[in-house]
Amino acid sequence: MIKKIYLDPYIFVGISLLAMVGVLILFSASEGDATIVFKQSIYVVLGLLLFLLVSQPDPDLYRRFSPLILFGTLVLVFIAYFFGPEINGARRWIRLFGFSFQPSELLKISLPLFLASFLFDKKLPINTKQTAISIFFILACFLSVYIQPDLGTGLLIAASGFLVLFLAGLSWVFIGITIAAFLIFSPFIWNNLLEPFQRDRIWTLFNPESDPYGSGWNIIQSKIAIGSGGFFGKGYGEGSQTHLNFLPETQTDFIFSVLAEEFGFIGVLLLLILYTFILLRTFYLAVNARDRFCRLVIGGFIFTFGFNVMINLAMVIGLIPVVGMPLPFFSRGGTSLLSIFLMFGIITSMSTHKKFIPK
Amino acid sequence: MDLHERQLERQSFTQRSLLVASLLLIFITVILFRTFSLQISNFIEFDKASLNNRTYSVPVQPLRGKILDRNGEVISENIATFDLVTTPKDIKDVNEFLKKIENIINLDKNDIDLYIKNFNSNAFFNRELVLKKNLSEIEIARFEVRGFEHKEAFVGKRFRRVSRYDEIFSHVLGYIGSARENNSDEQNRFRSNSWKDAVFSYANGLIEGKAGLEKTYNQSLTGTFGIKQFEVDARGRLVKELSYTPPINGENILTTLDIDAQKVAANQLGKRKGSIVVVDVETGGIVAIYSYPTFSVNKMANGISQLDYDDLINDPDKPFFDRSVAGRYPPASTIKPLVGIHALNRGQISWTTRINDPGFFELPEDGKIFRSWGEIAHGLINLNQALIRSSNTYFFNLAYNSGINELADDFEKFGFGKTVCVDCILEDGGLVPRPQWKMNNLNFGWFKGDTVNIGIGQGYISATPIQLAHYTAALANKGIKKPLFLNNSLSGQMPSSEIELENFNERDWSLLHKAMESVVESDYGTARRIRDQKDFLIAAKTGTGEIISLDSREEYERIREDQALRDHAIIVAFAPAEKPKYAVSVIIENGESGGSIAGPVALRILKELLKE
Repeated sequence: MIKKIYLDPYIFVGISLLAMVGVLILFSASEGDATIVFKQSIYVVLGLLLFLLVSQPDPDLYRRFSPLILFGTLVLVFIAYFFGPEINGARRWIRLFGFSFQPSELLKISLPLFLASFLFDKKLPINTKQTAISIFFILACFLSVYIQPDLGTGLLIAASGFLVLFLAGLSWVFIGITIAAFLIFSPFIWNNLLEPFQRDRIWTLFNPESDPYGSGWNIIQSKIAIGSGGFFGKGYGEGSQTHLNFLPETQTDFIFSVLAEEFGFIGVLLLLILYTFILLRTFYLAVNARDRFCRLVIGGFIFTFGFNVMINLAMVIGLIPVVGMPLPFFSRGGTSLLSIFLMFGIITSMSTHKKFIPK
Repeated sequence: MDLHERQLERQSFTQRSLLVASLLLIFITVILFRTFSLQISNFIEFDKASLNNRTYSVPVQPLRGKILDRNGEVISENIATFDLVTTPKDIKDVNEFLKKIENIINLDKNDIDLYIKNFNSNAFFNRELVLKKNLSEIEIARFEVRGFEHKEAFVGKRFRRVSRYDEIFSHVLGYIGSARENNSDEQNRFRSNSWKDAVFSYANGLIEGKAGLEKTYNQSLTGTFGIKQFEVDARGRLVKELSYTPPINGENILTTLDIDAQKVAANQLGKRKGSIVVVDVETGGIVAIYSYPTFSVNKMANGISQLDYDDLINDPDKPFFDRSVAGRYPPASTIKPLVGIHALNRGQISWTTRINDPGFFELPEDGKIFRSWGEIAHGLINLNQALIRSSNTYFFNLAYNSGINELADDFEKFGFGKTVCVDCILEDGGLVPRPQWKMNNLNFGWFKGDTVNIGIGQGYISATPIQLAHYTAALANKGIKKPLFLNNSLSGQMPSSEIELENFNERDWSLLHKAMESVVESDYGTARRIRDQKDFLIAAKTGTGEIISLDSREEYERIREDQALRDHAIIVAFAPAEKPKYAVSVIIENGESGGSIAGPVALRILKELLKE
């Protein structure tokens, strides 16, 4: 018999609200496509069940199994790469029973878990050897996704790893050296490592009018959609930019623009309040977590989540280049949604289980 | 790790996560500000951009105003024709659809090929597509009866510009043709690409006046385009109609023309090359203006075969050439009343001054003889007799005793050498020659003989039929000159002016009118042939325009073999002589006799106009 259900009411209410609003906006963005919305709703229900399920075990379970979890995820990522279908030139999916599954999304969970379990008992500050090992795993995970290719997700996974490393006490000296090196080598990165379309996106950001029907189109139309929403928005289902197809990728990258067009500044404000509420709540939980492992995991998770949200928003309002990053809880995509629920489930597990002190 | 270390670790974690959290909060604030700037500060700009994105305005063509005669009767109008219009978006299988339609309406291969070629794109963009133009009544009836089967097709009304008088008003009326884009202010109201989707009321799309009144008054005839506003998606597909502002049809033009008079003019001239111009003496309005050969305006407007068009263009008689306003003819003896006025006004002669006419004029300087081939001796005659009999010697004398510049000044006062109509198209000013002109153009000095020739309207001087009509109206009005016009709304708007003649008074005018009456009424008058066919008085002056200068009948009989070298028959006249209402000029190319050939033509027109 279940004696106790481990649940954080704030998080539960927060993410349920976000998920429901997400489905609502997706319904409009997909022109009321019942199939898409039904599928997404199923993912929400599955996600909530998964959330409740993974909330229950003691965090030690995740710690002990983290190497296995990371290994398993990487195996899936490589299965997708070598055996999965190629969609839009990328191999990142596994097809199973009519459902597509994107294992790389899971790395956002398994990498921080693994690094936290690796670093939780290390002395401060983290020494060079430990740093090197951590960076090796981070790079391995990043590269496994980068080759698919999927730069956006890869960077986010790398960010989740570095965040754990940073929170665990990465030496400031190392951080300083890295930043200096990045600044020095950035021209090399620009010229040799970025694909022409990636350079285009960055270039377009600073001058979208230079090519209004080419690479500038998306960002111009997104800004028009958001701007023309005004204070109260055009009304649910009434966004002309959305429904007359001026806005691209309405179900994925640019779904925030749909919300901004139809619900206006009020809608944007409420959404930001909701996200901020969840960020602050989990920040509180992280700081007050029962041990270092839990702190690192919650911190790594939530800041990655936070950056994911901010990067998507900054992208669609034209502050940073378009990198192809979905908006958590909103963008269409089952794996992404499930992994977010999974993440919050683990957060709940780590914040609700008291430390069992033997003896 | 010991307790101290744990505390340090926890402290470090809290500090570092606070750092990251602050970074995120800054990020959120920046995003909030940016969104505020887009949605609140720059709302108007983006709202406009969004509206501009989703709306598409296409022009709706107005109907052209009609052209009416002075009694309000229609000369040119718009006639409805019917096209079979389809909406490809609603048609699932184009071949099946065409098969169904073919049962009721005959389609030729060109129709079908063109239709299939444009079908997919029009279906995608949700545009209408014409399957067949100009349906017959039977086809329309058959279609209407079975129309319920074809919700995706309907009969659309398209107009054509048609004149009820296909050939007799051609030059003055002009015709319409396809308009080039971007040639009027009207078109700048719309995005340039929206013209391809314009809703056309005319079967031939965007049209404009290409000649005549259709061109002169194109703007007011055209009207103002209406606007049909559609909602469009990002790919330019029409989603739905948002609003409709109907076009304002063009204004009708009430002209000064008289259909009946024009008919008589055309009838009288028949198949003879030439021109007839009739002017309302009181207003200056042009009542009839006809030039032959002519052409079909309806064919020009609504489709003419290349073969027919080539025939018109290559015709040596130049059917498109408007002889009435641009044909240069020697005014010949019709200029004599003006030369008489000139001499009287200068005090050169009086009405009683007699000059001996031996049948020729000998230039005192070199003994050169001036004569026409038909000239006979009139003996001692005064101005009155000289006008009635059209003595050349008398007027050679008057011109000889004046100067070319003095003559030219007075000719110009009566409108020669410049255009006289305010709303005619391609009007020619004719030529009043001066020594300077001859030097510039022919590289020769002026001879006294050149002046002498001008005394009888021959030589370098040339005038258009409309100038002759204008001059005749000025004679009828006793020196009051009125600009000529075609649009009735100009009536009374034109300033009339009195021609300055210091020593030519009311009595002189009366005597001149009497002399011109006698041209018809007198037994010696050159136009006596028409004397007994009327019950009102006509004042006239005939002329015979020489094409080449000859001085014996034998010589003329020889060149007469070539019809193109025969003299032009000319008459100018006004009636009723006591209180003139109409002035007319008639020129019949190679008609030979002003009095007996051109005279009856002028008479018939005046009779038509003066019938009570």
